[in-house]
Amino acid sequence: MSMPSRSRTGAGPLVAGTLIILAIGIAVVVLAIAGLTPGRVFDSFFPVGGQAPVTDRGHATRQLYDVVFYIAATIFLFVEGLIIFTAFRYRKKPGDDELPPQTHGNNLVEVIWTAIPLGIVLFLFLISWQTLNTVDAKAADGGTYVRAVAARFQWKFQYLDGPDGKDAKVVYEQLLPTGEGGGLILPVGEPVHITLSSPDVIHAFYVPKFLFKRDVVPGKLNAFDFTVDTPGTYRGQCAELCGEFHGAMVFEVNALSRGDYDAWFTAAVKKAQQSPPPAPSGGPVASGAPAPSGAPAPSGAPAPSGAPAAQAVQIEARNTAFTQTAVTAPANTPFAIHFKNDDAGIPHNVQVKDASGKVVVNPDVLTGPGETDYQVPALAPGTYPFDCIVHPNMTGTITVQ
Amino acid sequence: MATTALHPAAPAVRGGLYEWLTTTDHKKIGILYLINSLVFFAAGGLLAMVVRLELAQPGLQFVDEAFYNQAFTMHASFMLFLFIIPILAGFGNYAVPLQIGAPDMAFPRINALSFWLLPLGGALMASGFLATGGAAASGWTEYPPLSGPTFHGTGTDLWIMGLVLIGTSSILGSINFLVTIFRMRAPGMTLFRMPILTWTVLVTSVLVLMATPVLTSALIMLFIDRNYGGHFFDPANGGNAVLYQNVFWFYSHPAVYIMVLPAMGIISEVLPVFSGKPLFGYKAFVFATVGIGALGFSVWAHHMFTTGQVFLPFFALMTFLIAVPTGVKMFNWIATLWRGKLVFSTPLLFAIGFLTMFLIGGLNGAFSAAVPVDFALHDTYWVVAHLHYVLFGGSVFGVFAGIYYWFPKMTGRMLDETLGKIQFVLMFVGFNMTFFPMHQLGLAGMPRRIADYASTAGWNELNLLATIGGFVIATSMLPFLWNVLVSLRNGKIAGDDPWGANTLEWATSSPPPPYNFDHLPEIRSERPVFDARHGRTAAH
Repeated sequence: MSMPSRSRTGAGPLVAGTLIILAIGIAVVVLAIAGLTPGRVFDSFFPVGGQAPVTDRGHATRQLYDVVFYIAATIFLFVEGLIIFTAFRYRKKPGDDELPPQTHGNNLVEVIWTAIPLGIVLFLFLISWQTLNTVDAKAADGGTYVRAVAARFQWKFQYLDGPDGKDAKVVYEQLLPTGEGGGLILPVGEPVHITLSSPDVIHAFYVPKFLFKRDVVPGKLNAFDFTVDTPGTYRGQCAELCGEFHGAMVFEVNALSRGDYDAWFTAAVKKAQQSPPPAPSGGPVASGAPAPSGAPAPSGAPAPSGAPAAQAVQIEARNTAFTQTAVTAPANTPFAIHFKNDDAGIPHNVQVKDASGKVVVNPDVLTGPGETDYQVPALAPGTYPFDCIVHPNMTGTITVQ
Repeated sequence: MATTALHPAAPAVRGGLYEWLTTTDHKKIGILYLINSLVFFAAGGLLAMVVRLELAQPGLQFVDEAFYNQAFTMHASFMLFLFIIPILAGFGNYAVPLQIGAPDMAFPRINALSFWLLPLGGALMASGFLATGGAAASGWTEYPPLSGPTFHGTGTDLWIMGLVLIGTSSILGSINFLVTIFRMRAPGMTLFRMPILTWTVLVTSVLVLMATPVLTSALIMLFIDRNYGGHFFDPANGGNAVLYQNVFWFYSHPAVYIMVLPAMGIISEVLPVFSGKPLFGYKAFVFATVGIGALGFSVWAHHMFTTGQVFLPFFALMTFLIAVPTGVKMFNWIATLWRGKLVFSTPLLFAIGFLTMFLIGGLNGAFSAAVPVDFALHDTYWVVAHLHYVLFGGSVFGVFAGIYYWFPKMTGRMLDETLGKIQFVLMFVGFNMTFFPMHQLGLAGMPRRIADYASTAGWNELNLLATIGGFVIATSMLPFLWNVLVSLRNGKIAGDDPWGANTLEWATSSPPPPYNFDHLPEIRSERPVFDARHGRTAAH
């Protein structure tokens, strides 16, 4: 029986190779036009764009990442190079119908390419384990104790008087997860002990610049320690799918110097003691399901007439969204926003900014369900965006005319 | 080999559609598996387009958060349970009896039942879109308490019922494969002469048989929690939310190997044929496959490193170790090509696509095995990049290699090479454009499963790039569809063995007659057709 005719090799692989190289070339040009430098591209292969982590544990993780990265990159270049070289070098030439050498195997090379990867992965395991012991280590007693409570679409931070447990008392409860005066405010340079609590579903506490996350599991108090070493504001976000508004469940970490932290903490505790505690305060009750609908409010509430002269602008928050995203208000005269929050246990407000992004009013946060009036000073005609300071993804605009 | 019509029991002639609906012929059932899987591939692909469109820029433009969550949940459910797993089972169904010289599967009627459970289960799952509250939306993993009765409606129950049926289909199929492979091999077809695809189907079947009942138990517990007030996963009543994750991943990690081992088998058929050499290190390859199967049962908790409830060093060690047999396979594949005479037909292109992309999927997995690095990367887009490099760059490229390779056997006609190459280039470029930037997005801190992100987070450009890449992948399916439709009628006649192949399916006509063989060549090595073509001596 003769060799069956095979499709000719011809220029096929060269054409394909050229096309791929062309596509990569176009991609490179586009990226260059978009302002990417080789340095930035290289940095993008490292956590948070190559920026330094901001906790003691983060540095250990970053070192481990770098080791894994360089080993993986070396293997990638070697093996990928081998594949591409083989593919181009051993193309069948047209008209060559000889059988290639029928090599069935070689035990020596099998042993070699089993042993070398085995050595590499054992090394990686050992350094991972070592780093894990650093990252998971318990910090010394003392410092700041915070219980982070993650309920559906809302972070709050309870500052405790000692290690979390039956006897722990909440000294101050931070309801604002982001923004001015909000967020998880921490001192730098000393141990922080975080415990995680959820009243509903699984969430995850994730701060990219800590190079760390830990699940918030209902029924279990997960704990971890760290020391922030650089003052600053760091973005955090829920990283475990928790429902519709999972993506809006953001928070910030504000790391302050010891002095600033003390000043803030004293003032915050004093303010909390003066003003009556926020309505439904108490532990992690919060949402079951975002209020079956909020029920069209037993109207009659003496709101509309209670406002000053001008008629009130109605804005309502439901299911972590404003039901009115475009409202109008009179120009050059103070007016009131009648704000209704239908979300049980979830705080919202209406923060109004001007076109340049400067905050016009940022009234108190209202934990639902409830309603209130926010006073707004006279505004020049124009368009004013508003959002909820707790949930930056809740947005709308006021047209002042 | 030419065949003459002399079948043991020629079946009664039946009408086309009736025959296809009632057939117990493993070849027709295999083709039905392929068609059904490709339908769900299209459906899952459309849902992926919804996800990518929504993420192309910050803000919500096309769907609300509720539908977005349904879209990515059902995208993954369709792709994993109704495309990848069944299409590989379909290749097994078609090829395994042919490769071992058997007339059919051991239990042809159970084989038909295994198949018909799939469209039924898929339709149940998909019908969630019509239910109040929409389809399942807690991610394909459906972690309680989020998937519990408080937060999700009927769609989740339909998802559970659908998946139990699909699981049952898998279990029946795996028993069928095991009995077929152990009892129905032709004379001379010893275990160590079996084609590698058959070996991978064998190991996969063991995984399915051991793991799938565990998934079913998790699903039934979830169903009881949801509908009959069970408290298995309800911490408020003594249950444990993480228990579900343990049970779920005890299936779903081995399931990753269920989704990739047969694709490795396909590659291991294609590479030797198109390089003109035997597979390098056949036995090492078999041992590596068995090793992956065994180790695959001891790594499930690496999906749960951040729960704070697993013994980290053990699962980290096992996860690193499983890279070793996978690496052995990679080197054996390259050694198969080495000094070969490579014929760049479309199946080889897709097979080399598999090698280059699966390599990345293996290496970026090592980052997550290093536990502290996983603390940083878990549940970010890094993981989305990793799993797509394994399952798309690996399995899907393998699937298309298999389609181009066996289409001539299944239909008697060749697929068009030019269209095939156009599809490959588009798919390869689109795939990398979509999924490579996800590494960077994950490193920059973008969590998965979010419908929206702040425009200030610095994720805009890469998301746009990924979306454009997604549309390039979608475009690459057009030449494929056109190719299949045109080639079915007008493709070049294939003949028994268009590729100069090695294994027994190429020793019968294309398509093979009912009961497959009228005459078998002698089986004295793992390449009986090669031996018959060149004489046994040429091989050594």
